[in-house]
Amino acid sequence: MAAKQKLMSVRRDWRERDVRVVLVALVIAVATVATIGLFASQLQRTLVSSASSFLAADRQLESENGRPVPPGWLEEARDRGLETGQMIEFSTMVFGETGFQLVSVKAVSDEYPLRGEIEIQPGADESRSIVDAGPGRGEIWINPRLLRLLELEVGDSLEVGNLELTITNLLIREPDGGFRLSSLAPRVMIHVDDVVGTGVIQEGSRVEYIYLFAGTENLLDDYYQWLQPQLEPSHEWEGVRDGETFSRSLERAERFLLLGGSLAVLLAAVAVAVASRQYALSQRDTVALLKTLGLPSKGIGRLYLRRLALWGLVGVLGGLLVALPLFWVLVRLLSDVLEQPVDFYLDPSALVPALLTALVSLFAFAYPPIRRLRHVAAMRVLRSQPGETGREAIPDMVIAIVAVFGLVWMYAGEISLVISLLGGLALLLVALALLGGLMVAALRQVRGGGNAWRLALVGLYRHRRASMAQMAVFAMTLMLAATLILVRTSLLDDWQAQLPDNAPNHFLINIAPDAVDDVEAFWADRDAPLDTVYPMVRGRLTELNDQPVKEAVSKDERVGALNRELNLTWMAALPEDNEIVAGSWFTPGETEGVSVEAELAEQLGLVLGDRLTFTIGSETVTEAITSIRTVQWDSMRPNFYMAFPPGGGLTDMPGTWITSFHLDQSNKVALNEFSRRFPTVSVLEIDHIIERIQQIVRQVTQAIEAILALILAAALVVMAAVVSATLRDRQREGALLRTLGGQQSLLARSTMLEFALLGFFAGVLGVLAAEAAVYALQVRMFEGGFSWHWQVMLPIPVISAVLLALFGRWQLRPVLSVSPMLLLRRLE
Amino acid sequence: MNQMTDLSTSDTSPMLRVTDLAHRVSLETDTLTILQGVSLEINRGESVAIVGRSGSGKTTLLGLLAGLDTPTEGTVALDGAEISSLSEDERAKLRASRVGFVFQSFQLLPALSALENVMLPLELAGIDAPEVRAKELLVRVGLGERLNHTPRQLSGGEQQRVAIARAFASDPVVLFADEPTGNLDNRTGQDVSDLLMALNREQGTTLVMVTHDEQLAARCGRQLHIEAGILTEPESARERAH
Repeated sequence: MAAKQKLMSVRRDWRERDVRVVLVALVIAVATVATIGLFASQLQRTLVSSASSFLAADRQLESENGRPVPPGWLEEARDRGLETGQMIEFSTMVFGETGFQLVSVKAVSDEYPLRGEIEIQPGADESRSIVDAGPGRGEIWINPRLLRLLELEVGDSLEVGNLELTITNLLIREPDGGFRLSSLAPRVMIHVDDVVGTGVIQEGSRVEYIYLFAGTENLLDDYYQWLQPQLEPSHEWEGVRDGETFSRSLERAERFLLLGGSLAVLLAAVAVAVASRQYALSQRDTVALLKTLGLPSKGIGRLYLRRLALWGLVGVLGGLLVALPLFWVLVRLLSDVLEQPVDFYLDPSALVPALLTALVSLFAFAYPPIRRLRHVAAMRVLRSQPGETGREAIPDMVIAIVAVFGLVWMYAGEISLVISLLGGLALLLVALALLGGLMVAALRQVRGGGNAWRLALVGLYRHRRASMAQMAVFAMTLMLAATLILVRTSLLDDWQAQLPDNAPNHFLINIAPDAVDDVEAFWADRDAPLDTVYPMVRGRLTELNDQPVKEAVSKDERVGALNRELNLTWMAALPEDNEIVAGSWFTPGETEGVSVEAELAEQLGLVLGDRLTFTIGSETVTEAITSIRTVQWDSMRPNFYMAFPPGGGLTDMPGTWITSFHLDQSNKVALNEFSRRFPTVSVLEIDHIIERIQQIVRQVTQAIEAILALILAAALVVMAAVVSATLRDRQREGALLRTLGGQQSLLARSTMLEFALLGFFAGVLGVLAAEAAVYALQVRMFEGGFSWHWQVMLPIPVISAVLLALFGRWQLRPVLSVSPMLLLRRLE
Repeated sequence: MNQMTDLSTSDTSPMLRVTDLAHRVSLETDTLTILQGVSLEINRGESVAIVGRSGSGKTTLLGLLAGLDTPTEGTVALDGAEISSLSEDERAKLRASRVGFVFQSFQLLPALSALENVMLPLELAGIDAPEVRAKELLVRVGLGERLNHTPRQLSGGEQQRVAIARAFASDPVVLFADEPTGNLDNRTGQDVSDLLMALNREQGTTLVMVTHDEQLAARCGRQLHIEAGILTEPESARERAH
């Protein structure tokens, strides 16, 4: 190999400590960012498709005006390569041998469900099974409650309108049934082609046509672009992202992953900057020699530029080599947790940030000090020249800061993230300058001596510039790591709080007012006490300030709440997870007024004092708004748009009661007895949904832990880079000290102490800055409250002190293990 | 190589011409004069020793003669080229084609083998088949068996032999040596200086050497003394030179 080529070979470079640090930092940065990018992309896809089963499709188009959509819409979807399906939902009476019952009919086409599955039971005592298609023509699947209400058996026939259908299965669970509380009547499922035969649907019937779509996100988006201009206000396009349950958790997980990625970028940038500056310093002799041998500065520039490009290549390839298996493991974990195979989804666009990270780290951080190598004087071969003053590096630092924050911004897409981190760092530097001044003043008083403490303090003072620089980098690294740990902790706590193990997983709906006490007693006896039981009255909002609501609210507002009956309630106490944002909650004894959910209030432009008129059956109730409150829709508890005070306008309206409660798997048999004793009460089993959400949260948690581990590794690399930077000087000093008679143990102890002090102060500063950054992040990005985190924070300075002390001791081991003579010669 | 020899024999102008050279360094408060009033001519094929104590300015003078640095005042012409008027890159080019160096601390690149260290200037000067020429030279300096050893695996004397091979690799017309035996024991120093002198004769190179070793200086055709930045030449030596 030609000597010049060999000068640039990565294998040769690898032998240099500083290059190793640069390469490792690059590999970690690329690996972290690529893993996060790939996994976030996969996670979103998997969760969307896993959550898609809640819609039985990727998207639903609902037509709430009682008319089907033009057939051309579906043809267009199929032409574009989308799968489609159809459902019709309506209420009607069914007639059995012994009586009749109002049911909620869902008529499904052959393709239903496009996503998810149906759970059925061929008989009351038979085992349940999972199928992926609905009933065929002539069949009807019914809710077990109906079986009891009409004293039917599987195999009996049931009349729906003009048509007689055979009961072939009990319908236990439908993929898209879980969250709609609006249909209180027992569910039956038939084939869509039987609907016409029933003759139930007439002009003006209340019927919903629902169309199902499935396909890639791109196809769906394109189709929606095409469809959107043709939609009428009564048409509603629904995707999982619009659903309440998943989106918040998912969004926060994504933000966390992005934050992690951003911090990885920052840490890598710091490591690359420190190591390449060190590398550039070590290359000055080589450059001087090459110049002496006749290589012009342009040639020097090219030589090092090509070397940087090579590093970049190695960093990217190495990073991908780490990222891909890691990604593979994470996806395998994901499919384990979801108990279903997950298709790998290698999104090439997810790799772009990783490549950009490598590029920016190299060119904004590594290149500037290396570029200045061109100015090394050839005369250096004969005699050492004055070194850099550091002033030359100032424009580089400005470029670097702008570049890296630009990168973080592009990457996380959050200016508040950039500001939070920048603010934290600025604070850190101010604190560091203050502490540094104090420390230098205090250390000046210390006189040398044979004591390890004194030696350590003198060491700190003697290297005060290097010490301050090291402390700045350590503190910054610790701040970034601590920020991530803090955000992770609060995120996980938050999720845990949101869905604790004893979260309600069953709803009881349609409890007759006089049965409430019995129902409560039934479950209390079985150690499954009910949450608050709420009355529920179905009513429509018809007037706003004595004007018809459809006129009062602008036509553009497609507020679903106006198109259907709302669940109204009355309650004395504000539910724990609700929060008043305007006005005040009912005082005891107050019987007037209504409390409105905040988002709906905003959509309708409602303010305190507005008068709302509800039509309930044939009656109307009018109340003024006395408070506006937020509601946790994903709390798995009954939630209401409108709440009245006890004894208020709703009290005498016909209604039923609703509640939720937690029922252990082992206790589920009690449901059978319950259904026998309270045949009219609907039980909505959402335990499988909760379980799935908890699984997903666990999975995301694992991913977050993996990312955290990667970031902490990056932090360690930064620290190693910084310690290594002064290694030669320290080794030389150590060797001299030993030559002059310093004992090994003294040297070891003073070095460890020196590093421990550095680590401790850096830890304190880093933790304080992290608290500041987390405060800003939490308030702005994660919408959480802020509290101090002493339990997380206290150990960090101690851990950093211990780690650095050990690391310093380890770095010094060549000085301690060989004879001073040999050492001095080696260091020459 | 032949071309170079032709050039040096046909051209009778001096290899180095120094006129009124002065070099000063600005310190924080005042200016330090390192060299002043240096004028000098060195002919082709001459071997010249510059002798002086530490701090006398001899290394600075060597750097200026070789075009590693530019003087504060005065001019240096190397092989007819006015060094002080050249840009740094032009000077680098001049060094690549006409100048060789031997240093006190060898200055081998630790990551390259002996062979690669010698090949490096050949590659930089764009000479064909650098490996053949480099091997020839290493065999000539007695290291034919150690081509692939890195500097760490070589003794000081061996390292300096590699450096000498490297210095002659690109057929320089002038060779600058800075205390070439300064880091070696007497015996090894003797061997190395023998080699340097022999190669110099064989190649017909002009040699400019800085040393405080009187014995080594005595082996050169001409000796210059430098003290406190002022160059003097003993009468006898000057006569011999002209």
